[in-house]
Amino acid sequence: MKQTIPLIIVFGFGFFVIIAFFIPLSAFQDASQTFETWYTGVIAFFVFIGIFNIVKVNASKIQRRLSDWQYSIILLIFLALMMAAGFIGGPNGGVFNYLFEHMQIPLGATMFSLLAFFVASAAFRAFRARTPEATLLLIAAVIVMIGRVPIGYYIWRGFPDVVEWMMNVPNTAAKRGILFGADLGLISMALRVLLGIERSYMGGGRE
Amino acid sequence: MSTEIGVWIAALLTLAIYSFLYKDNPFYKVAENIFVGVSAGYWAVVLWFNYAWPNLFEPLIMRGNFIYLIPIIVGLMMFAPLIPKVSWLIRIPLTFTMGVAMALVILQRIQGEIFPQLQATFLPLIGVSPMQTISNLLIIFGVISTLIYFYFSKAHKGVLGVFAKLGIWFMMVAFGASFGYTVMARISLLIGRVYFLLHNWLQLI
Amino acid sequence: MKFLERLENLDRRILFLLVGLAVIIPLIFPLGLPVDITRPVKSVFDRVEELPEGAIVVVSCDYDPGSEAELTPATAAFVEHCFRRNLRVYMMGLWPAGPELGNLSLESIAPRYGKEYGVDYINIGYRPGGPVMLVSLGRNVADLVRADYAGVPIDSFPLGRALKSARDIDLVMTLSAGDPGVLHWIIYFSARYGTPIATATTAIMAPQQYPYLSSGQLVGLLGGLKGAAEYETLIEMKARAVAGMDSQSIVHLLLVVFIVIGNVILLYQKRRI
Repeated sequence: MKQTIPLIIVFGFGFFVIIAFFIPLSAFQDASQTFETWYTGVIAFFVFIGIFNIVKVNASKIQRRLSDWQYSIILLIFLALMMAAGFIGGPNGGVFNYLFEHMQIPLGATMFSLLAFFVASAAFRAFRARTPEATLLLIAAVIVMIGRVPIGYYIWRGFPDVVEWMMNVPNTAAKRGILFGADLGLISMALRVLLGIERSYMGGGRE
Repeated sequence: MSTEIGVWIAALLTLAIYSFLYKDNPFYKVAENIFVGVSAGYWAVVLWFNYAWPNLFEPLIMRGNFIYLIPIIVGLMMFAPLIPKVSWLIRIPLTFTMGVAMALVILQRIQGEIFPQLQATFLPLIGVSPMQTISNLLIIFGVISTLIYFYFSKAHKGVLGVFAKLGIWFMMVAFGASFGYTVMARISLLIGRVYFLLHNWLQLI
Repeated sequence: MKFLERLENLDRRILFLLVGLAVIIPLIFPLGLPVDITRPVKSVFDRVEELPEGAIVVVSCDYDPGSEAELTPATAAFVEHCFRRNLRVYMMGLWPAGPELGNLSLESIAPRYGKEYGVDYINIGYRPGGPVMLVSLGRNVADLVRADYAGVPIDSFPLGRALKSARDIDLVMTLSAGDPGVLHWIIYFSARYGTPIATATTAIMAPQQYPYLSSGQLVGLLGGLKGAAEYETLIEMKARAVAGMDSQSIVHLLLVVFIVIGNVILLYQKRRI
């Protein structure tokens, strides 16, 4: 039962949605629409459980005095502060928006901007043309790096056109080939899931 | 220099993150944990007010529309692992969402990606300029040779080997272009933060 | 050569410092390099110019603060253009923080054009569910959208009532930093309902969009901060993106120098062996 019911669900709902696509009757379309609406409702709980897990993991870290447990207190304080500001004042509330604008945005933006420094370090230490293929890769990268910014246009007016040709021809060709392969793989994986052959996403092993 | 407290808070948090470039330190760790806490709190609030309350709970509680009990109960089953006896119930929301999502993958990947991209690969070789003919030929050969490279059921020897090698060359150009754009993206993010520090905080530009 | 050996072991913090200076100096002392316009960006601009007054444009902010530096300038430039053309902006997002980030642009630009919330523009906030949600949204908006981002019933706004399905949408502009994003708008929305899609993506994602540009599934593309700078130039609004282009150019040159030095060291190492 613990295996059968879930497999019936995935097969039933999955093939109903596929079949409904080909049947223009309103009953089928409405049912398909209802299942898709329920899907977005269920997905909301996936997010809630993610937040619940953050609280659980950090609370456990504090309780067991694991390494850097003090920082978990800060995490939970700010999580509570943000939720209180939002649930009391609403998503349009002053405090909530203040925290979003002056903490979340700068912190998120700065975290990712750190990568600029590491890419510079990697450019110096790791971007080496050891093989003919790597040489071609580096040449293409350098052409894009210069041609895609105003200095490239300033050096030679034709530079942006060369880059545009590179993006429209060899880049498109290779990306399209990869795209076909990935899509065919994804479709075969989707079929395996619907037919119950692929069950790893269910977790818990064969019970 | 700005006199707004909010700008100062943002600037100091920015500098705390950048302090990691010198070495890992408590200021960075504090800023990192504030970020995770604030982001998670934000997500919970937005999800509740933008979606969960108006689309699920309000119709059920305020208007007595009991059909909404179904997605709510199925969603609550996500918490089943907390009770070991019924932990298997988590499979219900997982299989329901996978079923609907995978069905749409099959339909839409074919309709929305494979067919249009296949159609776009059938390019004219006559009736266009010589440069366009060469470009179109390159696209056709590029797509075929890239696909051949990923065909591993036969050894890459002879004609197949030549096409596979050609596929690698096309991919190297594509990956080089992606690499150049990735560098560009990272630098842009840094420019954004430095612009904030110089314009909004120090007001030098 | 001892110099090359010392370069090989250079403290990376010196590299960080050079990058920092290469960003800061051109921002304080601009070079004023001209921004060239590429076809993918011009295509988006031209499509907006062709739309009749009152057309509904869905602006989907599918990004978070990590991509703010590249996509907020693009959002601002695009929204500015829409308001100048008297188009109606229907903002939403597939990522939680996206609509809030987009709102900062919307609320700062709308008053300058005398635009009224609920009539000329609206923000319905975050919609979870990615691709499945998009399929449902295109068929019947009312099933998924009951309130705006502040929780006010959507039916109380004229623009909220006007958008019932994909048929009412004249253009979708997705500002996309990953999944869910532009790929899903193309495959799950446009392929089903025929709505034209334009996009502004982070520079990392830009190369992957070219197959869709070439197949006509994308109207146009603003790639990264450069794409935003091109759009600002087209609408004659020199703002954050254009200001950053001089720094972008100098840092790129610096990184090319780093790559060249790194490969000179490699050649030297090979000769040593």
